Amino acid sequence: MQIQIQQLMPIPLKDKLLQRTSGIWNQDVTFSPGSFVKIKAPSGTGKTTLVHYLYHIRYDYTGTVLVDNRPWPAYNKNEVAALRQQQLSIIFQDLRLFEQLTAVENIELKRVMQPNPYCTPEKIREMAAQLNVTHVLQQSSKTLSYGERQRIAIIRALSQPFQWLLMDEPFSHLDEENTRRAATLIAAECKARNAGFILTDLDDDQHFSYDVHYQL
Amino acid sequence: MRPFFELLKKIIHTGIGKSRFLMASVGLGIAMLLILVAIQVHSNFNQLLYSAKNQNETADFLVINKKITNAIMGQSGKSAFSPEEIDKIRTQPFVQAFGLITSSRFKVVVQAPGDLHFATDMFFESVPDSFLDVKNEDWKWNVGDRTIPIILPSDFLNLYNFGFSLSQDLPQISQETVKALPLQVVISNNITSEQYIGHVVGFSDRISSFLVPASFMSWANEKYGTTREAPTSRVIIKTPDPSSPSLVKFLDDNGYTTNLDKLKFSKTRLIVQTIVSVIGFFGLILLLFAMLVFSMFIQLIIASCKREIQLLVMLGTAPRQLKRYLLKQFVPLYIIIGVVCVLLLAGLQYVTATVLAKHDMVVSVWPGPGVFAGTVLVLGLVYFVNLLTVNRYVNKES
Repeated sequence: MQIQIQQLMPIPLKDKLLQRTSGIWNQDVTFSPGSFVKIKAPSGTGKTTLVHYLYHIRYDYTGTVLVDNRPWPAYNKNEVAALRQQQLSIIFQDLRLFEQLTAVENIELKRVMQPNPYCTPEKIREMAAQLNVTHVLQQSSKTLSYGERQRIAIIRALSQPFQWLLMDEPFSHLDEENTRRAATLIAAECKARNAGFILTDLDDDQHFSYDVHYQL
Repeated sequence: MRPFFELLKKIIHTGIGKSRFLMASVGLGIAMLLILVAIQVHSNFNQLLYSAKNQNETADFLVINKKITNAIMGQSGKSAFSPEEIDKIRTQPFVQAFGLITSSRFKVVVQAPGDLHFATDMFFESVPDSFLDVKNEDWKWNVGDRTIPIILPSDFLNLYNFGFSLSQDLPQISQETVKALPLQVVISNNITSEQYIGHVVGFSDRISSFLVPASFMSWANEKYGTTREAPTSRVIIKTPDPSSPSLVKFLDDNGYTTNLDKLKFSKTRLIVQTIVSVIGFFGLILLLFAMLVFSMFIQLIIASCKREIQLLVMLGTAPRQLKRYLLKQFVPLYIIIGVVCVLLLAGLQYVTATVLAKHDMVVSVWPGPGVFAGTVLVLGLVYFVNLLTVNRYVNKES
């Protein structure tokens, strides 16, 4: 799956962004399949906005986001859902877990959303063990710490098949050790799927061996 | 889909406003029952009217004649049917069989035998045999037979027994006795006369006239007839439904009349039809409200889970999946309501059939196909309205 942006500009940030040069905004960029992409962005330059544009949950932009050479608005709701189940996964900055579900149910929801789940429940437990969250799986997600929630959100994103993984500051609340473990898991899962990712963060980091770097 | 829906159950609470939902369900049940009762009563009525098992002999045959009003009194020609009028009657949709009543054009004098000293001028009429309610193997006449079979109206013997004989101090006579009495029948045309033996073979409730076989009538009219071709003034029809409003209207419109007693049923039927229609109408209104409440209930669920639905869609849940999940929460209940209603109706129908059977009225002990069609139709309608509501609001939130 190819993701391409053409002259993309967020309408609310237009004036501000036109005053600085960006590797993404108002440019033509193609993210080639399977590549690990890092987008470094200072606060307030529209990092989360970009991820939401790419995931098609915000629409207040000019320019085009092309998915497999089709602009997002050309997909209908069920097609978008199919893409999100099969080809495009996401770790939101604000995580977006269901508070009324337990941690494991939040992961399970995503896993069984499609009729033929990609992962087995054993695989989920393995990933949880790897990220040190096995002990909180049965807890209501309401009672988890932000760091625990972040790891649950990561596992949720990895429980489905994908070609692209979008990550918006995925390690913001993890210590070094847990960040390392999470990055290893994500890299391994991406390799297993021949998938690429687009990661946005504030600073430079060495968590992954990135193929491409952009400055927002 | 199963495990996913199990999880959805924890996110999209359908328990909200449960009492409202319960009320709507009861409403739907009552509405459906009313509609089904209306359909079934209609079907029962049709069975009573048209089914072969319920052929109500007297009700099916009507003797029709013109009303004798002051205006046409004394002008015998005016009470006769013209050939056009006869054709018109014959071609009415409610006429199953049609027969002319032929009157005698000769003089008849009947004398009782022996010491009864009873003689009277009389007339004969004849109808096609298929219109008779008296079945008797003596009911035949061939040229040369000296005995004429006669059918009398039952009312005639009643008039004699309970009116005439009591006041005149004469003996009352049973039907059997009358049948055993050989009557002297003299037919004449003022010039020649001939004597026969009349033999009463039966009493008719259907046709108030003195009937002889058609074969005798045509022979005697030919031989003793004083005028040529007397016009027909009475006809008999067989109708599947003497209470049909179109029949009553036809008679009224043309100034015809018949045994009005037989048409009384028409009024009863109209009343029953009205009641059934009102029941059905209430059922439909109630159904409308039930559907409205269901729609509002679905709307409420979706509105109260707006954020959850949006997040589900964001995570990749297809609107299609959400719709299927929501409908799955309701449809089993509808099917249960439908089955319960049909079972209730089947019970009612069984009781009705049993009660009616005691009165020699036969209706099927099973609900008619209309009931099942009605159930499917109502459930289909409710499903369709639900589908529209779910579609509309899920699309709005996703």
